[in-house]
Amino acid sequence: MSPSFGRGAMTNSWQDMGNSQCFLIAGSNCAENHPISMKWINRARAKGAKMIVVDPRFTRTAAQADVYAQIRPGTDIAYLGAMINYYIENKLYDEFYVLNFTNALLKVSKDYKFEDGLFSGFNPETKKYDYSTWAYQLDADNKPIKATSLDDPDCVFQKLKEHFSRYTFDVAAEISGIPADKIKLIADTFAENRPGSILYALGMTQHTTAVQGIRCYAIIQLLLGNIGKAGGGVQALRGEPNVQGSTDMANLIANLPGYLPYPTNAEVTLHDYAVRYGAVQHKPLVALLKAWFGKNATAENDYGYGWLPKNDPTNMPTQVEFFNWMDKGQFKMLFNWGSNSTVSIPDRKMVLRGLSKLEMLVVADVFEIETAQFWREPGVDPKSIQTEVIFLPAAFVYEKAGSMTNSSRLVQWKEKALEPLNGCWPDLDMIDRIFIKMRELLAGSTDPKDEPILKANWDYDDGHGEASPLKVLQELNGYNDNTGQLTASLGEYLNAPIGTVSTGCWIYAGVTPPGKNLADRRNNTDPTGLGLHQEYAYAWPGNIRVLYNRASCDANGQPVDPERKLIWWDAASGTWTGNDNPDVADKTKGPDTPEGKMAFRMTPEGVGRLFAASYTSGVPTSPVPADSIAAIPTRGAGMTVDGPLPEFYEPIESPTTNKLHPNVQNNPCAKIVSTEFGDPEEYPYVLTTYGVCEHFCAGGITRNIPYLNEIMPEPFAEISKNLAKKIGVKDGDKVEISSMRGKVVVRALVTDRLQTLNVNGKETETIGMPWSWGFASLNPGPSTNTVTMAALDPGAGTPEYKCCLVNARRA
Amino acid sequence: MNVTRRTFLKMTGLSVVAVASGLGINLSVAEARAYTLKLEGCTKIPSICHFCSGGCGLLLHIKDGKLVHLEGDPDNPINEGALCPKAASLEQVAYSEVRPKTPLYRAPGAEDWQEISWDEAIERIAKKAVEVRDKTWKSTDEITTKTGEKKIVPANRAEGIAVIGSAEIDNEESYMLSKFSRLIGTPFHEHQARI
Amino acid sequence: MTKRMVFVDTSLCTGCKACSVACKAWNDLPAEKNQLITSYQAQASTTHNTWTYISMHEKYENGKMEWLMFKHQCYHCAEPSCMKACPAEAIYQTDSGYTIIDQNKCIGCGYCVANCPWGVPKTDPELKKTFKCTGCIDRVENGLLPACVATCQPGALHFGEPEEMKQIAEVRLAEVKKDFPKAQLYGDKAMGGTTYLYLLKEEPAFYGLPENPTTSASLVVWKDWVQPYGIWLIPIALGASAVSFVTTRIINSMSKSKGGDIHG
Repeated sequence: MSPSFGRGAMTNSWQDMGNSQCFLIAGSNCAENHPISMKWINRARAKGAKMIVVDPRFTRTAAQADVYAQIRPGTDIAYLGAMINYYIENKLYDEFYVLNFTNALLKVSKDYKFEDGLFSGFNPETKKYDYSTWAYQLDADNKPIKATSLDDPDCVFQKLKEHFSRYTFDVAAEISGIPADKIKLIADTFAENRPGSILYALGMTQHTTAVQGIRCYAIIQLLLGNIGKAGGGVQALRGEPNVQGSTDMANLIANLPGYLPYPTNAEVTLHDYAVRYGAVQHKPLVALLKAWFGKNATAENDYGYGWLPKNDPTNMPTQVEFFNWMDKGQFKMLFNWGSNSTVSIPDRKMVLRGLSKLEMLVVADVFEIETAQFWREPGVDPKSIQTEVIFLPAAFVYEKAGSMTNSSRLVQWKEKALEPLNGCWPDLDMIDRIFIKMRELLAGSTDPKDEPILKANWDYDDGHGEASPLKVLQELNGYNDNTGQLTASLGEYLNAPIGTVSTGCWIYAGVTPPGKNLADRRNNTDPTGLGLHQEYAYAWPGNIRVLYNRASCDANGQPVDPERKLIWWDAASGTWTGNDNPDVADKTKGPDTPEGKMAFRMTPEGVGRLFAASYTSGVPTSPVPADSIAAIPTRGAGMTVDGPLPEFYEPIESPTTNKLHPNVQNNPCAKIVSTEFGDPEEYPYVLTTYGVCEHFCAGGITRNIPYLNEIMPEPFAEISKNLAKKIGVKDGDKVEISSMRGKVVVRALVTDRLQTLNVNGKETETIGMPWSWGFASLNPGPSTNTVTMAALDPGAGTPEYKCCLVNARRA
Repeated sequence: MNVTRRTFLKMTGLSVVAVASGLGINLSVAEARAYTLKLEGCTKIPSICHFCSGGCGLLLHIKDGKLVHLEGDPDNPINEGALCPKAASLEQVAYSEVRPKTPLYRAPGAEDWQEISWDEAIERIAKKAVEVRDKTWKSTDEITTKTGEKKIVPANRAEGIAVIGSAEIDNEESYMLSKFSRLIGTPFHEHQARI
Repeated sequence: MTKRMVFVDTSLCTGCKACSVACKAWNDLPAEKNQLITSYQAQASTTHNTWTYISMHEKYENGKMEWLMFKHQCYHCAEPSCMKACPAEAIYQTDSGYTIIDQNKCIGCGYCVANCPWGVPKTDPELKKTFKCTGCIDRVENGLLPACVATCQPGALHFGEPEEMKQIAEVRLAEVKKDFPKAQLYGDKAMGGTTYLYLLKEEPAFYGLPENPTTSASLVVWKDWVQPYGIWLIPIALGASAVSFVTTRIINSMSKSKGGDIHG
């Protein structure tokens, strides 16, 4: 979503779903995996909203739908492309919105091309694109040239139209297995009932075409004018309780907290960093360094920038690749926090090989998860594994104070309710003590490499020998040198001169103003009835509940939907105001100013991006400023590494050939990590994996909860009645599911909820398996990820769990 | 809470009859049918669910430091008291008998764990981290600039240490871990957001 | 407390089973060891430790799939046959309409089990006590929602005054009937009217439910003839071997129990 809208987060909230007229739920089984959504979806349905569900299986969400379509896993872009084509051909788009709030009119470089499955700039050796042709035509000031009408052959809109013209309902039907008339019904239903909301989760992201699938959603919602409105939006239903927070905090290789680009070895000095990423990243990095090194961070020493380890762009593994790096011997020690990798990572053989090569593995978790005991998995000889393992038992969520950020960016604080069982420690104390012990061991060292540890700003003691979560949250909020106080608001941080404020994560600036903790607010009143709950906890950024809400207003700054008023321009006071906090660059700039028109202020163009162009605003023109740091904050676009427009590619393991361009079968940029792949002759069936309502992710916690084991006692493989007949399996029999990478035996669940699909004229079977089991816990069972493969989306690094080829036979 | 102990409906009244059964259960029943809640005298402490990203509110009823009951927080505007089965089951984590009692250590080639103290665990980890950091430290990289020239630049990486963070811990913990990795010299810090 | 009602809108039930878990959590009932039975269902029936559960029903017809859910628990009938059957007079009704087993009086004879048209109550063989849903009378009397209703996220469970519940049910029925012509309310005409009122998308038989639940004829014999005149008549009056083990247990329990004077 970041390449489309400027921010990567879910646009609206759970409560806001109650305002929708239509839901397109595709790539999410929300009734099972985000059950609270059904509370709000049903509020909307009670008012007449429609519910569309597209899924490879008839799920418990599908059981609630007005329109359901069974799709072949990994073919979403085919039918979504057909929807885009249909909306453009039949002028079903919101013209005012498209003209004013998207880049539809901007002219694309004449060098941009798409031919036979490849965009211009592809380098087959590196499997990477050079983005330079995915550019705009620029004027003398380096600003994109705007066409006067949507008919201009160079404009984004025409490029979009041309690109998707190949996606007819019939072509989409052949690829996806969804009948053409069903695709039309979905398209019509979603266009006729606005505002419409799209819900997706891992069903959309766990593909080698993950980012481009989400791009389709963004394009559809921009065309229909559904972004920035109550009841609209694209809801990325995030998978874990604090995955929004943990990504905000940059538990990712290419980021620092607050989504700052992680410095690489090419940016030797802070100045290099500032030149490369612009003032917009320069200031928060300085604020971060001040938070990390305190008084030791000064202008003279580049605020300690030199102490940061630098990324080597040629050696940047993402999570799945970590295990390959271990196998290759790079990593000797792994800290594995609250993550059950041996169950959750695809191609488990690879994971086991990696962990076995480590010198030490540290696992912190609430229960003794499989990853901690990988060395004694049945079939493994512990004596042959030399890895030292230390397991740290962690306090559970209600045994410690702290905050978590939910899917809709709501930071909620909780106090400690219970003492940790058995004297377990909160993770905070574990990390704190390990760091302090390392600092003790290195005390007195004069080795420059030990400076960052010795010079760090690290004092979280609560006065009783334990680390204080509130102190940490206050470090995230940050301090203002001028007042000597906690920064009072995001605005105060933004307005303070560089180097005078600290913040551990600039998007959290304002969460704990002096004497307060806004994440702990518990006023649940909702005067508008729109579910905004402005006084409940705190949503980043700046307590905005519906992102891009400027797009809910017309040219005069007045709400286009009188029943769902979010914000408006108050001419009398000369400010943007409203029921929600206005998502505008400057609240005093009216709707007739360039700033006041801007609905997507985080993109370099200030508009939603139908075409993800390579473009950086604020590029200094001549003369270059003396310090080379862009005078206007440089804002680079989030890039889609595999194309400026979405294109359909077959999954890496696919039962058929790419109908659109047989010569480019798969995403040409996909990162392939597994080494063994099967072909459809030997492995004719498509496996898709998922979670169930009764267990959570790798099951590390839920398989240790008797109540949940009672209601979902074992893993299974769901197969159609046709397939069951073919392989001679009855409901309840044991069935062996095998791929090139491994095999598992589970209970067969024979059901009508999976039907044989017709794909490119051939009968195609889908098999479904939940993946939440492992060899340990109160409820052990085979891990589905023995079978799956590690092939990653080139942009997001998500593995293609949702489709791989398998065989099935009676066990 | 021991889930094998069943609490019967409690009623207060005139003639309370206690019937001892084989399981040691106290059946308090009375003539006057005024029903008392097991929540009487409890302190209510709100918390947040630990599963999907909904952020549903939990309400813990605590008496004498013990969890008496857990259910949805009716005042949390996200869930208004409603909980899915996973969240509704969360009181079974509080006193779970399968939760480890101490840090555990597994020596190279060993077939089982041994229990160790927190001090020993922290010390072993910190020492090993310092050791691996020392022996895998990479202070410089050679890069090729855009003009094609080779250049030696600072790297400052502990190449041998990787950190997998978590989306299941609090913001403060997540941030601290993020900071910890980079301070000790490893940019190799990832987590399950990608999977 | 005046009469209360729970409206179970099965058309909105997602089969998440949170109701079953919340019931256990509130009532401190232990988990049972299960296997999958059919679909995603692992609980086969109510037991002395499982007072409510969801059954799942799959139907594929004319290219259209349906996955229907049904929540089982005590219906809390207006004319409960269990109460009529209970030889120990352990079962009583509250003003709010709930049927409650007084565990102090219950002798675990299982006669209520045999006489419930839905087979809801179940006897704990160890404790020799019979258990079933209490309607969370302790919560309800103290101003809280029943545990299952409070936890239901999709809003399939409603709790309130009977008139209000019936109104909601009628509105929902009209809506659901548009797509499901066989949709109907269930419980309103059975056993004098049940406290748990259902909206079904299909006929009761599709869910394995009796179309017209009634008090069995033998129970009428028991209650109106045997009970007034004496236990010794039971074997003669009933004769049926199927229930003889129950009667044996009743007689044994009665003779051991201090409060066993069932004529009392």
